[in-house]
Amino acid sequence: MSLDLLLEDGVAHIDLVSSAAPADLQLSGVGKDFQLRRGTSVRALDAVDLEVGHGEFVALLGPSGCGKSTILRLAAGLESPTSGSVTVGGNAPEEMARSHGLGVAFQDHALLPWATIERNVSMPFKLARRTVDEDRVAGLLELVGLSEFAKARPRQLSGGMRQRASIARALVLEPKMLLLDEPFGALDAVTRRRLNIELQAIWARDHISTLLVTHAVEEAVFLADRVVVMSARPGRIERIRKIDFERPRKPELMRSSEFHAVVDELTKSLDDHDEVVGP
Amino acid sequence: MSQINTDLVAPRIATRSASLPKVGTPARATDSVSVIRRVGQGIWNVLGWCVRRYWGVMALVLGWHAYVTVLDINRIVMPSPGAVSQELLTNPGRYVDPTLSTLTVALVGLVGGTTLGASLASLSWFARAINGLLTPVAVILRSVPIVAMVPVLARVFGYEQRTILLITVMISFFPTFVFVSSGLRATPPGSEDLFRVFGARRLTLFRRLALPSAMPNGLVALRLSAADCILAALVAEFLMGTEGLGHVFQDTIGDLDMLTAWSAAIIATIFSVTLFLITRRLERAGHRRWSA
Amino acid sequence: MKSQTTGSGLMYGAIGVVVLGVVWESAGRSGVLGTTFPPVSDVVTYLADPAYRTLFGRAVGATFSSAARGFLYGSAVAILLATSGAVLPAAKEGMDRFVASVHAIPLIALGPLFIVLLSRTGTPAAIAGLAAAFPVYVAASAGFDDTSQTHRDVFTVMGSGRWSRLRHLQVPAALPGIADGLRLAAPAAVLGAILGEWFGAPRGIGILIVSSMQNFQINQLWASAMLAALISLTAFALFGALERFVVSRIR
Repeated sequence: MSLDLLLEDGVAHIDLVSSAAPADLQLSGVGKDFQLRRGTSVRALDAVDLEVGHGEFVALLGPSGCGKSTILRLAAGLESPTSGSVTVGGNAPEEMARSHGLGVAFQDHALLPWATIERNVSMPFKLARRTVDEDRVAGLLELVGLSEFAKARPRQLSGGMRQRASIARALVLEPKMLLLDEPFGALDAVTRRRLNIELQAIWARDHISTLLVTHAVEEAVFLADRVVVMSARPGRIERIRKIDFERPRKPELMRSSEFHAVVDELTKSLDDHDEVVGP
Repeated sequence: MSQINTDLVAPRIATRSASLPKVGTPARATDSVSVIRRVGQGIWNVLGWCVRRYWGVMALVLGWHAYVTVLDINRIVMPSPGAVSQELLTNPGRYVDPTLSTLTVALVGLVGGTTLGASLASLSWFARAINGLLTPVAVILRSVPIVAMVPVLARVFGYEQRTILLITVMISFFPTFVFVSSGLRATPPGSEDLFRVFGARRLTLFRRLALPSAMPNGLVALRLSAADCILAALVAEFLMGTEGLGHVFQDTIGDLDMLTAWSAAIIATIFSVTLFLITRRLERAGHRRWSA
Repeated sequence: MKSQTTGSGLMYGAIGVVVLGVVWESAGRSGVLGTTFPPVSDVVTYLADPAYRTLFGRAVGATFSSAARGFLYGSAVAILLATSGAVLPAAKEGMDRFVASVHAIPLIALGPLFIVLLSRTGTPAAIAGLAAAFPVYVAASAGFDDTSQTHRDVFTVMGSGRWSRLRHLQVPAALPGIADGLRLAAPAAVLGAILGEWFGAPRGIGILIVSSMQNFQINQLWASAMLAALISLTAFALFGALERFVVSRIR
């Protein structure tokens, strides 16, 4: 992390993360072009430098089309950068995926409709050709409050419950890096807030290095250690805001004035930038 | 009622459009080595393209040739691909009339049956009762192998060309009726309400909404019926021994004149495959034009 | 159309079948279509006559066994081909073309080939197999591709190999489609077996149909054709039930 970005928030602190161990996710000078028809291409990302330290929760915040999902897909090894480099735990993301070190959850829960919730959550064990750790699966289902629904099929569950199952599946192999792409994006506001609180509690136990993509400012501020604000066309990192609220964070935090001050500040920086770019 | 799975018959096989690869950039280089290299590269590209698309068909012909030569089969029992193509090139006159006869009944029947099926389906769109009565019957008859019923129809209507025509009409009628009926009803959700809100009359609804949404289905039915029509015509000719390629077959197999039988079979195959390719292209064009 | 699949659809269906039966019966009785068009009651009586039970029994046995063998082998080969296309994407395009071209060959044009390659008794099963293979191949290869992008992404990120993906994602996703393909393959196999019999099998429904056509045995002709239709319809209905069961399990 560069010094001016640190200073931007008015707090000069020593970045322990990057000086101690290598970051769990590291993007250096990443650019990404998508080929359109007839040889033209569009630049989705430009000169992105980003890292997620060990045990850190980073939220990517920005308007739709700013390339935040592309960053997540690069980290997941689903895309490769046009320029620059992406590493997860010092390795190529594809390699990390092959050694089953990544956990992922998308807006679409992507549970297998023919399998029970229990079998869905234990699927990563099967893909890794390991014996299913029944206790681990049961414990996770307990943690996300789905123990009673272990034998249910996804279509019998509500949207929020499916997302809980999807997150349990992402966590089951204790991944080195957790990637969340708008996991609560399709839920109603009340359910979303409740799941944010739950995710916060789950995350506080293990501190798995996490990259969350979202367009909800409150969600980003409540969950993250750092919020990365992005702008669109081409996708660039606009600013990075450190969030210092004490952990574990309680639901009351969302009603505090300090919390709202940060949310307002970040909302403003999103809006400001929109004015500059927008027509 | 059995559900009609248009998914299965929709254009799924090899959806990529057929486009020739670029055969290298025109050689601008002055040295001939580079020109040869480019030409070589071009030939190589075209070869690779052919192999990727047609390896199955090539393997089939090569396998046939290898089977005949390696096992040294008596050419009276099974002629080689070379012998068949030589026969077709030296005696094309023998096959012109039978081919025309078969193609005529198959195509006229196909067009007639499709038109009839689509018209009746449209008519029953306006009167649901007709549709309710006709659809189950059509669905049942669609799952009955009509081609196997050719002998019955031949007996009832006589050993004549018009019987074959009737059979090919029937064969294309039922699938068209079933598919067009379901297509007329498969309008985009909410669109009928929208049209009603705008005060559209039933005829307008039919022309602007139901008909366009039925077009892809109608073309699917056309493709499904096309191969069946040729098959039915051949079968009818084979069993009744009137005229056409099917008759050539029946005649020559009886006389163990396998060269002629195989040549007739190859002609029938070529036309059937061609008709299949044409109708599949139509179906895809229709899918692009009318499907969301 | 789906909305009326329930009560009213069933009623209309029943009425439709009854109307068909009445029209057939009265057309036969009045003789407008000549002596070769018997009323449906005559055909049913003929079928039920114990005197012909062994004749029909042996014919049905032969045709059913050819159709069933063809159906089994044809479906198995089709699923195998579709699976290799799913695992080897490079070969898929050529395979699709190959299968479509083979399917476009008129089944009857294959007669001379099978008579050379196989015995006359084997030909019905072989043609039935070819006829059944096509719908199953189309259904299976479409089914293997019928997975959502997100599902594929999740499997990739979870480090799934090609075979794990096939086993845990593509195969279950393809099952409803394959069941539907089997449903369409059943009548196709019956037709294939009958066509194959016309090339000189010793017995079977197809033989019965052709010989009664040639010998003006009208009732026997219609009865055999009705049997063929019934076998085909029963298989169609059975696999339709299987399909509904699979869909309820998978989706």
